[in-house]
Amino acid sequence: MAVPTTELAATAPQPAPVSPGRRRRLRFAANPKAATGLVILGGFVLLAIIGPWIAPHDPSLRGTDLLQPPSAAHWFGTTHLGQDIFSQVLAGTRSVVVVGFVAGIVSTALSILVGVTSGYLSGAGGESLSALSNVFLVIPALPLIVIIASALPGTDNLTIALVIGLTSWAWGARVLRAQTLSLRRRDYVQAARATGESTWRIILFEIMPNLAAVIASGFISTVIFAVTSEITLAFIGVGDTSTWNWGTILFWAQSQQALAQGAWWWFVPAGLAIALLGTALSLVNFGIDELVSPRLRGNGGTTARTEDGHRVRMRVGFTPVLGSGRKDDPARRQRGSTAASVSERGADHARSRASRPAVRDDAVLEIRGLDVDYGLGDAAVHAVRDVHLTLRRGEVLGLAGESGSGKSTLAYGLTRLLPPPGVVAGGEVLYHPERGEPVDVLRMSPAQLRRFRWAETAIVFQGAMNSLNPVHKVSTQLMDVIKAHDPTSSRADRRDRARELLALVGIAEDRLDSYPHQLSGGMRQRVMIGMALALQPRVVIMDEPTTALDVVIQRQILRQLTELRERLGFSVLFITHDLSLLVEFSDRIAVMYGGRIVEQAASADLYRRALHPYSDGLLHSFPALRGPRRELTGIPGSPPDLRAMPTGCAFHPRCPRAFEPCAQRVPVLGMPRARQGEDRAGDDRAGNDRAGGDHAVACWLHPVQDTRF
Amino acid sequence: MSAGSARPAAPAPEVVLAADGLTKHFPVRARGRALLSRTRPSLRAVDDVSLTLRRGQVTALVGESGSGKSTVARLLAQLHQQTAGSIRLHGEPVSARGGRRFRAYSRRVQLIFQDPFASLNPVHTVRYHLTRALKIHGRAGESRKDLEDALADLLTRVRLTPPERYLDKFPHELSGGQRQRVAIARALGADPEVLLADEPVSMLDVSIRLGVLNLLRDLKERLHLAILYITHDIASARYFADDTVVMYAGQVVEGGDSETVTQRPAHPYTQLLIDSAPDPDRLAGADSGTREAGTGEPPSLITPPPGCRFHPRCPHAMARCRTEAPPPLAIGDSPGHFAACWLYDEARQP
Amino acid sequence: MSYLLKRIAFYLFTAWAAITINFFVPRLIPGDPVQALITKARGQLTAEAVQSLYVLFGLDSEASLLDQYVRYLGQLLRGDLGLSFTFFPSPVAEVIGDSLPWTLGLVGITTVVGFLIGTGLGTVAGWRRGSWVDLVIPVTTFLSSIPYFWLGLIAITLLTGPGSFFPASGAHDTGLVPSWDWEFVGSVLQHGLLPAATILISCMSGWILSMRNMMVTVAAEDYVTVAHAKGLSERRVMVSYAARNALLPNVSGLALSLGFIVGGTLLVEIVFSYPGLGLQLFQAVGAKDYPLMQGIFLIITLSVLLANFLADVAYLVLDPRTRREG
Repeated sequence: MAVPTTELAATAPQPAPVSPGRRRRLRFAANPKAATGLVILGGFVLLAIIGPWIAPHDPSLRGTDLLQPPSAAHWFGTTHLGQDIFSQVLAGTRSVVVVGFVAGIVSTALSILVGVTSGYLSGAGGESLSALSNVFLVIPALPLIVIIASALPGTDNLTIALVIGLTSWAWGARVLRAQTLSLRRRDYVQAARATGESTWRIILFEIMPNLAAVIASGFISTVIFAVTSEITLAFIGVGDTSTWNWGTILFWAQSQQALAQGAWWWFVPAGLAIALLGTALSLVNFGIDELVSPRLRGNGGTTARTEDGHRVRMRVGFTPVLGSGRKDDPARRQRGSTAASVSERGADHARSRASRPAVRDDAVLEIRGLDVDYGLGDAAVHAVRDVHLTLRRGEVLGLAGESGSGKSTLAYGLTRLLPPPGVVAGGEVLYHPERGEPVDVLRMSPAQLRRFRWAETAIVFQGAMNSLNPVHKVSTQLMDVIKAHDPTSSRADRRDRARELLALVGIAEDRLDSYPHQLSGGMRQRVMIGMALALQPRVVIMDEPTTALDVVIQRQILRQLTELRERLGFSVLFITHDLSLLVEFSDRIAVMYGGRIVEQAASADLYRRALHPYSDGLLHSFPALRGPRRELTGIPGSPPDLRAMPTGCAFHPRCPRAFEPCAQRVPVLGMPRARQGEDRAGDDRAGNDRAGGDHAVACWLHPVQDTRF
Repeated sequence: MSAGSARPAAPAPEVVLAADGLTKHFPVRARGRALLSRTRPSLRAVDDVSLTLRRGQVTALVGESGSGKSTVARLLAQLHQQTAGSIRLHGEPVSARGGRRFRAYSRRVQLIFQDPFASLNPVHTVRYHLTRALKIHGRAGESRKDLEDALADLLTRVRLTPPERYLDKFPHELSGGQRQRVAIARALGADPEVLLADEPVSMLDVSIRLGVLNLLRDLKERLHLAILYITHDIASARYFADDTVVMYAGQVVEGGDSETVTQRPAHPYTQLLIDSAPDPDRLAGADSGTREAGTGEPPSLITPPPGCRFHPRCPHAMARCRTEAPPPLAIGDSPGHFAACWLYDEARQP
Repeated sequence: MSYLLKRIAFYLFTAWAAITINFFVPRLIPGDPVQALITKARGQLTAEAVQSLYVLFGLDSEASLLDQYVRYLGQLLRGDLGLSFTFFPSPVAEVIGDSLPWTLGLVGITTVVGFLIGTGLGTVAGWRRGSWVDLVIPVTTFLSSIPYFWLGLIAITLLTGPGSFFPASGAHDTGLVPSWDWEFVGSVLQHGLLPAATILISCMSGWILSMRNMMVTVAAEDYVTVAHAKGLSERRVMVSYAARNALLPNVSGLALSLGFIVGGTLLVEIVFSYPGLGLQLFQAVGAKDYPLMQGIFLIITLSVLLANFLADVAYLVLDPRTRREG
């Protein structure tokens, strides 16, 4: 019997049910697995209907050709009594299909009844129904069916189907109960209750439609189980061995020693028919699975071809980089593929840099012309477009943006951690080591990248909840990264270091051997920050590190981070949607919209004199805690959809000051002509000259003179 | 700015919904040693919370995650039954057990959820959601045309125009802000007196939050709604709400009109909350970090600390705070401003 | 600890439910099945055997249902499962005792090994999507749709016969007397190889598929991305981060599907005439040997419960989140 894998998958946590309706049905039919399965299944159903009529012989009729191999007269050969095996298989199809579907319907109906009811009803009723299905689940079904079926007086197809149906509902009930339990907690079910819907309407119209895929998948699994059970029962002789189904054919073959006589044709056709029917049903189920959890879909999503025929291997953890050089430099493209060592490439960059404006020598990480796409060719969605950004030694650079601005894609792209179908479509990410020539992260081999990661740039992700491996102790996760980069270190040293790191972020030593689930959200994020500092990296990238935390904890962590940065001198790229937080916490801010950087300036500068209407609107979207209360409006409209980006400046449809060029041409990021002198003269907090002169904006209101960004 | 900076001493608007001593304990499974003791452990999500919602006014309920603020909303919506305490609608005690009575109550008190991605059923269209809301509360009219008019009216109210562009869309075809507007329209479908908004904008993009808040304020003024605005963002409470109530670990620690609570916070926890909120005017480096109260985390609600629940984190904690729970004490700097803190006890009885 | 206690209570309850089903099913048979059996046995039954049959079917009318039930439970406690009439006059317990070790050896070991190999292959298939490993999927789908016993038939046709290394039936050479010497053990291994391979191939494919799917899901989790970002070796990320977590649902899946698997594997014994419980069940069905059928049902159920419990313990060891102290 097949292990019902689809149901296993269904018990695992799944993304929210996908969009419904006709489109879903169309997509299902377009799924090649489901389509193949449905076609084969259709063939069997057709045979079940017309099989007995088109059979060339009466399946039970004895003939004179005893135990003959396949021939023109008997396509599948004959039995020891001269019966035509082809006719037997045809005649047997009906009973197999009927028993399968009747048992499937009975079992599915029972599992819906028990599963959905016990899932929706809380309290003792639900619990005891659930216990009942669990009991049925662990009792081995086949022996149970055998003792029940052999105790019954008549064992016709219908009885067998009922017995199978009555003994196989438990798995479906369990899956449906789990799903219903999770659906019951969904907001839309709560919202329907709050609207005043009645319980039965909620079950029928709010919960059931969302269970459709799970129910269908459960139904098919039961059909598979019922078909195999029926055949198995017939094979061991339970039931009426004189009615034909594929199992009875095998029963007679076995009991007449077909094997010993070399009569392979006697049992091969029936077995193949079973396997084919089972495969068809499994394929349909795969289709349903892929519909429900899109992650399983996409022929691997792992190798694809670009327009120019290059094979791109999509690997989790190593985002592919298309092309091999800067778009505007064909000569480099050739060299890039042959260059062997990192340092050689670094030298390349150093040479190519001479032709461009000098970069300040305090740069640690320099992003040039970075493009990041989802998908390839015409289907590609451009999430990050031509981004230039420089992170300087010891600074906090804030990257602000809303959903779809590309800020997280940028972070994942530059570290090459973007999962498929993400690809880096072009650009350079230069890392400037303390000594030596800069290296391009995008041109590193997997081995080089592994050595580089965490040692030079560490990352703290958004969900501290999910960033730690739930099955390993905190100490294990702190120590494995040290070991990976310094295999010669001793275990005791690593443990000491782990202890040190926890102390660094203010966590007591006795938490070293805790599991992540034993820590609060704030503590987990501290552990992640401590882990990020394990190898004393020069760059720490933080993607919404405090968004999931409460303000008080957020403040504690940010204060600690500021202290650590002052002590250890690393640079931070701080990504968040909360611009008000950045103004307070970072040295410089870059604002992203629609995949591009639209403004970049020192924090104080941006806060006082935002030039881009979007930055300005965003700053005025945060109600103030102090000062006079003002009427605020936010920004009309919604952030753009990456798949349908507006032409020209992506912000123009929402911009209150849009004018003629905005819809046509994309503005370039650069220093506005009018403001240069003013900025230079302008006051500069902290008294150094590094922040003041760097106010760049991409907006037609502020035509650009110097495009050195 | 219409919403009352320093409201005149005009008679306060009529109280629509009032909660008195609202308490909700969720039973939790006993484990290990707790199995042996007689008392069944419970999670004390909400303990003795009182608040009032007035016609045409917004009351904000501010707190961190786990403070019990969302549970208060669900108690007021009668999605949960309270363990103790009472809820009165226009002075009448509410009992919404049973289908018909619950439906009658929900006609007058509607709830808006935090996450518009989750609060609309992905298999149904906007039309279905709104039609159900109208039909349940008997406002769908007699004819098909009445229904169409009512639907168009609802969408227009939440400024999703032209209505026909949105009626037959599925939730996933709408942006976050549009979805939340549909959710608001569904709540309005019952023509309620009270709107309970549980973090209605926290899942939305920053640039569109104010649009939704301004819409709610506009509706409040036109329909004279009483709104409970639940949020973790005290700055938005100052912007949007007339009165603000602050919760910590299941209890109310401070309340009063929003301007007073945010500008002159009395309770040490409210002060901590305000100091922790991002403030662009306090630029990097300017943060002196004077208050070292920002340590520790909220307590377990299964075994909350005795006395004042904030005392383990409080910089001003006294011996008394560890044993006796403080009652709400009037502050006296503005009418209605109170804090549950022993620091203000002397002020009352010298 | 309380988790294990709860599971033990559940299994005890389930065992009781199975015993109760076992008690009531024969009483559902209408008419007088004993008479039919006596006729069928053509007078070879002793008075004692006839009496025990009447007890089995609850036809000894003097006793009330409750008395019968209590007496039945008492008999079970003493290990008395009645008399088999296929192997008359051996008691059922003895017959089962003879065949149980063979089944445990064949089905028990192959199920565990199949789970391990399948999970291992599934790990690789899920991790290296887009490579040749993807071919595993259609092949395993097809294999998992084939009934185990039919695969056994094919194996016998193709691989056994005169001069072949693989014997077509039995558990050991008929000439040998069971003992712990090399000759016997070697013969047992030789006989077990083909049925074991059949079971392995069939039950492995399910695990490959489910582990692959879980790996695909887990590979997108944040902690796996973090593991990549930490610069850990590919192997460590795959094993210690992705597979270690993907394994959890597979282990609970193992516990839940043991009941299904055991039913299927038993039939392989029939094809290979392997002297285990499956073959006995086959013979019992053919001979309408109710006491034997029921005894086998009970023993299989209890073994599956025990195996389930072991899987629960394994889960407990694997997932720290279920290990709550207190």
